[in-house]
Amino acid sequence: MNQQPFLRTFTTPAAFCALGFVAAMVAVLQYSLRAYVPGSLDPGGFTLANFLDLLKPFYARVFLDTVWICALTAVSTLLVGYPLAYALVHIGNPLAKSALLVIVVTPLFLGEVVRTYSWIIVLGNNGFINSVLRGLGLIEQPVQFMFTTFGVVVALVHVTLPVMVIMLAAGLSHINRDYLRAAESLGAGPIRAFLTVTLPLSMPGVIAGVTTAFAWTFSAFATPQLIGGGRVNMISNLVYQLGFASFNFPFAATLCVAGLALTIAVLSILRLAARPFENMEAH
Amino acid sequence: MVRFWLALFALFISAPVQAQDKLIISIWGGSWRDLVAETVAKKFTAETGVSVDFITGGTIDRLNKEKLAKGNPESDITFTTSHVGWLYANDGLFETLDTSKIPNAKNLSEEARISPYHLGAWAYVYTIGYRADLMKDAKFESWSDLWSPELKAKVAAPDFDPSHIIAVSALLSDADAAHWEKGQDKLKALKPNFKAFYTNDANSQQLLASGETPVQIVLSMNAYYMIGQGVPITLVIPKEGAVLGIDTVAIMKGSKKAELAYKFINTLYDPEIQAEIARLKKGSPAVLNAKIDPEIAKLPGVFTTAAQWKQQINIDAKLRAEKTAEWRKWFAENIMN
Repeated sequence: MNQQPFLRTFTTPAAFCALGFVAAMVAVLQYSLRAYVPGSLDPGGFTLANFLDLLKPFYARVFLDTVWICALTAVSTLLVGYPLAYALVHIGNPLAKSALLVIVVTPLFLGEVVRTYSWIIVLGNNGFINSVLRGLGLIEQPVQFMFTTFGVVVALVHVTLPVMVIMLAAGLSHINRDYLRAAESLGAGPIRAFLTVTLPLSMPGVIAGVTTAFAWTFSAFATPQLIGGGRVNMISNLVYQLGFASFNFPFAATLCVAGLALTIAVLSILRLAARPFENMEAH
Repeated sequence: MVRFWLALFALFISAPVQAQDKLIISIWGGSWRDLVAETVAKKFTAETGVSVDFITGGTIDRLNKEKLAKGNPESDITFTTSHVGWLYANDGLFETLDTSKIPNAKNLSEEARISPYHLGAWAYVYTIGYRADLMKDAKFESWSDLWSPELKAKVAAPDFDPSHIIAVSALLSDADAAHWEKGQDKLKALKPNFKAFYTNDANSQQLLASGETPVQIVLSMNAYYMIGQGVPITLVIPKEGAVLGIDTVAIMKGSKKAELAYKFINTLYDPEIQAEIARLKKGSPAVLNAKIDPEIAKLPGVFTTAAQWKQQINIDAKLRAEKTAEWRKWFAENIMN
């Protein structure tokens, strides 16, 4: 007797999707190995020239900048998100808990472009922050937030925060409260109990959150495009600028392939580095 | 059950049947679609009884869709920029136009006769626009004024197309767009003055309106829209001329409604329709016999005579189609870095 009668039924749509995904990836890969023909939509013969072009310092810098921005965003999101997730799990009042959850999750329901334009209003030379600083007499000239890595990271943290909080909250809610009570009964104060019990046991959630935030940010486009103003570029911006805005699809495909390889490499390194922490819950 | 999913999949991917009694126009969305709908399409429908439907999307999205639909086009008529039109034409997506079926086209300006496949629909310029209220002492008589050290970190330019400033740099280096390399050093000298690069019209508007970049290489129609919204922008035409831009119209190869498409294009070139387009968008009519309101005609970037068209910097559309990728790449590597 078939133990899983619906397996084929349920996996067929996934198989179609996988087929489409693989076909698209093969198309991108073969485009990356083709020459660009000026004035034509069709690529030319096979070449490695596109990949050799990536060796120019400009592209290496954009790739490094992308990793740096992703790392900054992931860590910043963790620092902002952890207290929120902690509060979300430990707040007793259901109304306050719901309000916090709504505030945290709301950004997910706004389009990325809308969110980014909101940040332009906040970060601009005549924006909210500079107006407040000027109003308080703290500055005479506006502080430049727009078109800087700082501005891009701030906006990306906002985009990524809901995902991080949800993942951290899931990790924190699985911690057995008896461990905390045991620590307290043995004389540990709240800070020590947090540092020696809660934090280590929440590491799987932290690692999952950081990894997801990192990967999520890697594909960011609208935020670095609009806040970065062409001065802060990530890989996806280059794909748009050099590929789609100038019809050089082979080079755009090369950037995509290189970006994908870099993502896999960085996430693999992250995974290896995080391995000791993943098993903390078991100890 | 696999058959069920296959059938569902087949149903899902089967193309929707196009309305047989409608002319389908491919154009950018938003105000561009509205412009054509409220002028040409309205008159065309009134005269022929044939309604018009629009497929809207970005320049590249529409190009890719039509490439995939080659031979069985999704639209009958496409509006696109002159150099992008060459990409359609080079790929065999445009019909060769029989201008005898477009009597009004005889009044087209010489510059609007782009190719045997696509003709100019209206024109605009990319030129210098600035916030005079924020730049009290600024004067822009020549493109070379953009290089003034006083403009350090004040200028924005489009990130999607550097051809305008590349052509200008070549011109100021006694060359032209075909020999753009001669202007590379000149353009590198402008680098400190760039503060940002805008990604679309909305981004351009936001940067100018907020004063974030008080000087821009800006699309004239976009500047006039902002002026209409109360943003105090001064638009100037430098003595060397502004950089001419032409949006074009073409009939898709394989269209089953080519005769109607010719009628539509002829309506587009009706002098009254062209004057209305100029009024609504503050752009230049493509024909020379449009009777334009004098207040519109005197605006920088609106041309009513053949001589005015010739005074502008006109980058050959075919050259631009071939060079855009090279220019864009060089610009990213050397100016935006």
